[in-house]
Amino acid sequence: MTNDPYSERVRQLFADPDHAGDLADAEQVHVDDQGVRITLAAQCDDSEIKALRFRAWGCPHVLAAVESFCRDYEGRPCADLLDFRAADVMQTLPVPTEKLGRILVLEDAVRSLGQSVRHDPTGETE
Amino acid sequence: MIAPRDMMYLDYAATTPVDARVIDTMSQLLAAEGDFGNPSSGHLAGRRSAAHVEHATSQLAKLLGCRENELVWTSGATESDNLAIAGAARYRADRGRHLITMSTEHKAVTDVFGSLEKQGFEVTWLQPDASGLVVLDELEAAIRKDTQLVSIMHINNEIGVIQDIDAIGSVCRRHDVLYHVDAAQSVGKLPLDLASAPIDLLSTTAHKLYGPKGVGALYIADRPGCHVEPLIHGGGQQRGLRPGTLAVPLIAGFGHAAEIARAHMDEGIAHLRKLRDRMWEGVRDVEGIVLNSAENASFPGVLNVSMAGIEGESLLLALEPLCVATGSACNSKDREPSGVLRAIGRSDDLAQSAIRFSFGRPTTVADVDFAADRYRRAVERLRELAPRGVA
Repeated sequence: MTNDPYSERVRQLFADPDHAGDLADAEQVHVDDQGVRITLAAQCDDSEIKALRFRAWGCPHVLAAVESFCRDYEGRPCADLLDFRAADVMQTLPVPTEKLGRILVLEDAVRSLGQSVRHDPTGETE
Repeated sequence: MIAPRDMMYLDYAATTPVDARVIDTMSQLLAAEGDFGNPSSGHLAGRRSAAHVEHATSQLAKLLGCRENELVWTSGATESDNLAIAGAARYRADRGRHLITMSTEHKAVTDVFGSLEKQGFEVTWLQPDASGLVVLDELEAAIRKDTQLVSIMHINNEIGVIQDIDAIGSVCRRHDVLYHVDAAQSVGKLPLDLASAPIDLLSTTAHKLYGPKGVGALYIADRPGCHVEPLIHGGGQQRGLRPGTLAVPLIAGFGHAAEIARAHMDEGIAHLRKLRDRMWEGVRDVEGIVLNSAENASFPGVLNVSMAGIEGESLLLALEPLCVATGSACNSKDREPSGVLRAIGRSDDLAQSAIRFSFGRPTTVADVDFAADRYRRAVERLRELAPRGVA
């Protein structure tokens, strides 16, 4: 349908958020801004992201974007977290322009997670 | 076990499907051999079409309890609201330029008042009480010597609260102020007797009562001082109040829909009440639920609820295949929290999570059970996704 506000990809990610949940012994960050709340947890090993989990409160595009990030970044170098760009998610899902602010909250969360992991590359909390 | 479904429509306050009997009436007029004449023409084809309009006018007049000469056909409730409010304000502008309405009216009303404010009219915007009802003392206190019109709807389209239009009209009559009612949600669903009601202007539309989209009507009481200036000009049809060639098939469809609604009103109300009560019973124990529809003054066709800690847009998507509304259907793409819900004291967080379920003739108990189950599951799922301590 042409007036469907959600792409098939957004609908699929929203319907099957495989990465929703928590991780034990993981690096964790939480952001709350623009009416969006995101908690990200990462387990890293040898500078590689072994597992990602999230909890999120927001519109379907936000939930889909967080799930999409988790799927894309597991198995990648931890350093990649610092290069995460909201603009890429906006384009691939896609997300309407008026929701850029919400996806930037995800960017903040991911980069904050990247900083945390860099300071504690084992990914283990103290 | 509740079977999966492709789509379930529970948005009858937004619009209704056209009754099969109404389709049949309209189809006969749309067919090549049907009565296609211009009802303003004096020849036989024109007179045949005019007879259909007269019959439909009689059918609607019986539903409303008014006289045929008090009805004007329009394109729908929005046009009727515009004609009533702007038309009456301009007609009586020499007497005064003060008008009264409520902040919780439909946009088809509030936007007209907003436009009139820009044209130099002064508007008093009344706030509702916690149920959504107008406070009669506040209404009476707001009326001034230069007040010309009060517009307060019958059934609120978002929360279903029913205003006491007789009491409001009585206040207006005491002060010689015209009273307009947007009755888009109530005509054909609640009894009306305009012959005895203190109402001067009343807007209605066909598509909320199983008639076609694109046709409505405005009741203009045949009493001194009650008149409107036309908004469009040309042709002189309908005493010049709303000129233009009449849409005979749509009008005939509206008339038939009105006749059917009149014949089944009592059973219709009982049916809706049973469904609304069952729906509420099915969800009322979900933690955090807030009932936005007044328990004692609410139309049984509407159940509006909010859910603490739940994001409304995600809830709407998680509810699919239910077709429900987050607020007024006309602005459901606008993600601003509902002004109606804020006006009755809901926080922005609660207002944005509001879902309006509205029921209709085709709705069954099984539909409602499915919807309640779907709502409970959607809330549970979104709570599982949310950060700890949020939902």
